[in-house]
Amino acid sequence: MLDPHVQAQLAAILPPAALLTAAEDTRPYECDGLTLYRERPAAVVLPDTEGQVVQILELCHLARVPVVARGAGTSLSGGALPHAEGVVLSLAKFRRILAIDTLTRTAVVQPGVRNLAISEAAAPHGLYYAPDPSSQIACSIGGNVAENAGGVHCLKYGLTVHNVRRVRGVLITGEVVEFGADALDAPGYDLLALITGSEGLLAVITEVTVKLCPKPQHAQVALAAFDDVEKAGAAVAAIISAGIIPAGLEMMDQAATRAVEQFVHADYPLDAAAVLLVESDGTTEEVADEMADIRRVLTEAGATEIRVSKDESQRLLLWSGRKAAFPAVGRISPDYYCIDGTIPRRALARVLRKTAEWSAEFGLPCANVFHAGDGNLHPLILFDANVPGETEKTIAFGDRILELCIEVGGTVTGEHGVGVEKLSAMCVQFAPAELERFHGIKAAFDTYGLLNPGKAVPTLARCGEFGKKHVHFGALPHPELPRF
Amino acid sequence: MNAPVAARARPAPEVVAELVGRLAAQYGDRAITNTSVREQHGHGEGMADAALPDVVVYPTSNEEVAAIVRLCHAARVPVIAFGVGTSLEGHVAALYGGVCLDLSRMDRVLEVNADDLDCRVQAGVTREQLNADLKGTGLFFPIDPGANATLGGMAATRASGTNAVRYGTMRENVLGLTVVTADGRVIRTGGRARKSSAGYDLTRLFVGSEGTLAIITEIQLRLYGVPESIAAAVCQFPDLGSATHTVIAAMQMGIPVARIEILDDVQMDACIRYSKLEGYAAKPTLFFEFHGTSAGVEEQSELMQQITAEHGGSDFRWARAPEERSKLWKARHNAYYAALALAPGKQAFATDACVPISRLADCLLETRADVEHEQMIAPIVGHVGDGNFHLVLLFDPNDPADRAKAEGIAARVASRAIAMGGTCTGEHGIGIHKLEALVAEHGEAVDLMRTIKRALDPLDILNPGKTVPMTARD
Repeated sequence: MLDPHVQAQLAAILPPAALLTAAEDTRPYECDGLTLYRERPAAVVLPDTEGQVVQILELCHLARVPVVARGAGTSLSGGALPHAEGVVLSLAKFRRILAIDTLTRTAVVQPGVRNLAISEAAAPHGLYYAPDPSSQIACSIGGNVAENAGGVHCLKYGLTVHNVRRVRGVLITGEVVEFGADALDAPGYDLLALITGSEGLLAVITEVTVKLCPKPQHAQVALAAFDDVEKAGAAVAAIISAGIIPAGLEMMDQAATRAVEQFVHADYPLDAAAVLLVESDGTTEEVADEMADIRRVLTEAGATEIRVSKDESQRLLLWSGRKAAFPAVGRISPDYYCIDGTIPRRALARVLRKTAEWSAEFGLPCANVFHAGDGNLHPLILFDANVPGETEKTIAFGDRILELCIEVGGTVTGEHGVGVEKLSAMCVQFAPAELERFHGIKAAFDTYGLLNPGKAVPTLARCGEFGKKHVHFGALPHPELPRF
Repeated sequence: MNAPVAARARPAPEVVAELVGRLAAQYGDRAITNTSVREQHGHGEGMADAALPDVVVYPTSNEEVAAIVRLCHAARVPVIAFGVGTSLEGHVAALYGGVCLDLSRMDRVLEVNADDLDCRVQAGVTREQLNADLKGTGLFFPIDPGANATLGGMAATRASGTNAVRYGTMRENVLGLTVVTADGRVIRTGGRARKSSAGYDLTRLFVGSEGTLAIITEIQLRLYGVPESIAAAVCQFPDLGSATHTVIAAMQMGIPVARIEILDDVQMDACIRYSKLEGYAAKPTLFFEFHGTSAGVEEQSELMQQITAEHGGSDFRWARAPEERSKLWKARHNAYYAALALAPGKQAFATDACVPISRLADCLLETRADVEHEQMIAPIVGHVGDGNFHLVLLFDPNDPADRAKAEGIAARVASRAIAMGGTCTGEHGIGIHKLEALVAEHGEAVDLMRTIKRALDPLDILNPGKTVPMTARD
């Protein structure tokens, strides 16, 4: 319940339909893409101007009311999970594309604009926005910035942090701050990088200037089949170490290809233990050159079959399987749990082997799809929440995969963020000295911890308790390895 | 959060003396107090603003750096990291005395991972040393600020350079760091994994923090495959405007040129004389370098030649052999010294501005007009592909009026760039010279930077007086 005084003040700031407090109105906001966790907020506000955002935050700051900013609600880590006594600040009404500058190749957009809508608006100018999370038809750019979202093409074109020039945001105190600059490099501390991936804990984003890339003249994708998952993993390493940076480098194992094939009929080779999708883009000559190199490396790495798309429709068909992998797995299993971890590429084969072993041990099938080029794994554990004990087994299996990611020098989240889902895993990945730095930064922006409380960075107390419960986390194996 | 913080005071002489004594006892001949060494560590290559540290220490490991910082922390004595002293904005001047940490003996390449296209180096490794080390692996590290700086210094100042158009700046190429915090703890940020969305981005926060938030001791760097084919070309133009519009057109078409450098007629004249370049005229000039497969390079350069021809550029003069190329780039890298040689007896300082590419022509031409109006010698040179350029202002150090004129032009370059949506520091950083400009440019964000500085270095011992103005100037 919101303090009636606060509620009255919110009502004074906003038009009637923009303040929701009744249970039936706030229920749609009780969770995001991570449906395991639900919480009904005390109120939902839907401002449509930055001035309103400033007033709302000033009010909540004075009244010490928690605020959770929300874009399209597609977070897979509970980043937009509401706070029971707090306000959800939806940016759904901020959906205007304010400017496209074709000379500087940037677009200025409001945070509620969908990722794909930016590319659509830029298309007439031969430009597009490169980061492409699989949820790009729905997810909003403000959320992309907050989570430092990735995607299939991030290997070559970088993550959100590499593709954003400037972010305008409102601090919990109501101050409006610009992070970054329209030019190449903003002086002073890199606050733009700090805001990117901060999961709504530092500021509420009200405007984003993104970089646009010229649409490549030509693109082709090669599908390579392997009779052994480890060989496919080794092929990924071979491509990168040959100095080739493909536009996309994705891997799917047999469980994933079989699920996908029934769904989109992309004509994947179903007898293969794993397939790789390798994309090359650029001018026609560059693509032809690079494809020849890719073919050679894949053959040397033991591919049993290589198919190269002959035209755009074939290329899109081959990609459709990868992009539809999650819904496809959703069709064949009552529930699935998507893991998001990143490892150094060289450890790929080892992590895949262990995952297969544990899959057998837990008796839970696991389909693997991932951004293999940058080592970002998305194992999908298939389970049935209605079978007693399966949910617990699934979480234990997932934890084991994440622990292994850290052990080999990786990180517990590649692109989905920490949210509420991975708070405990953060205790494993970061030492107290680093967590103290995180808390110092949070306090510098938000003294009372009102923005998105309970997310992204665990308290030291939580890590202390977590350490006690899971003794084996206390002593890390291979202390000499780089963490995260 | 707007509370002013008193300007830092020098620590008491007896506190410093005791600390110096402890360091001398502990590190022997690696803790040096003689004046010439201290003088050498009191300034970079920019304007003479020497401020001497009380002692220069040469640590050789993370643990030694941490131990020294802990001593400084306990005594509240400033500690300033030093690479090879190529900074141009007074980053290493010991404004309040204290300990200079010369990291040049931390010069080991710790690992090279060809499969992952990355490497880990100690902060004192220079970029030329790293590339010499990488010879034979087929890999290279592209960031090239001209000077043979240490990678620690390049990370600390977020250096960029002649090929940022294609490879980005240190921001894009540092994957992780080992740093020593203000209270003397060693932490690792980022790492081997190519992406992460866990926790705040400490790596990028420390990159560019100029030694004010932590001392960088190790750097995980991204590496690149040596391109199959490299070709460099020179093209000359009748005037500065047509050279600039050529660059804008090339960027708009998205030609992935590895480097584009502009030299105005004054700078080109200086380079011809200083580096004995033959067959060139003292006209506005563009240097290009193309990287890629043979076909790719061919294609990029054909497109580029079409654009230059449309803008009245001369035919390309090619430098395909490595030694020809390196002569050309050496001439470019020596531009600063060539400019100095134009007016013996004068001093130079280089401004560093960056504007959105769409405003580049306006900014360059207005700046040129300003220089001509003031009747100064000030060549322009720049990595114009990303909108970054430098004005090298030559002035008579013994003539206050001349110096004031130069400073006036520099201040106007900064305000002009900011007014055009750009920045006053493309790549040289803030140091002590650009604190005012930072406030002009960033407004509210400077408050946040101050709060972050206080959160991570509450005693203000890490390179005090730099990067973020801690006194309430605004």
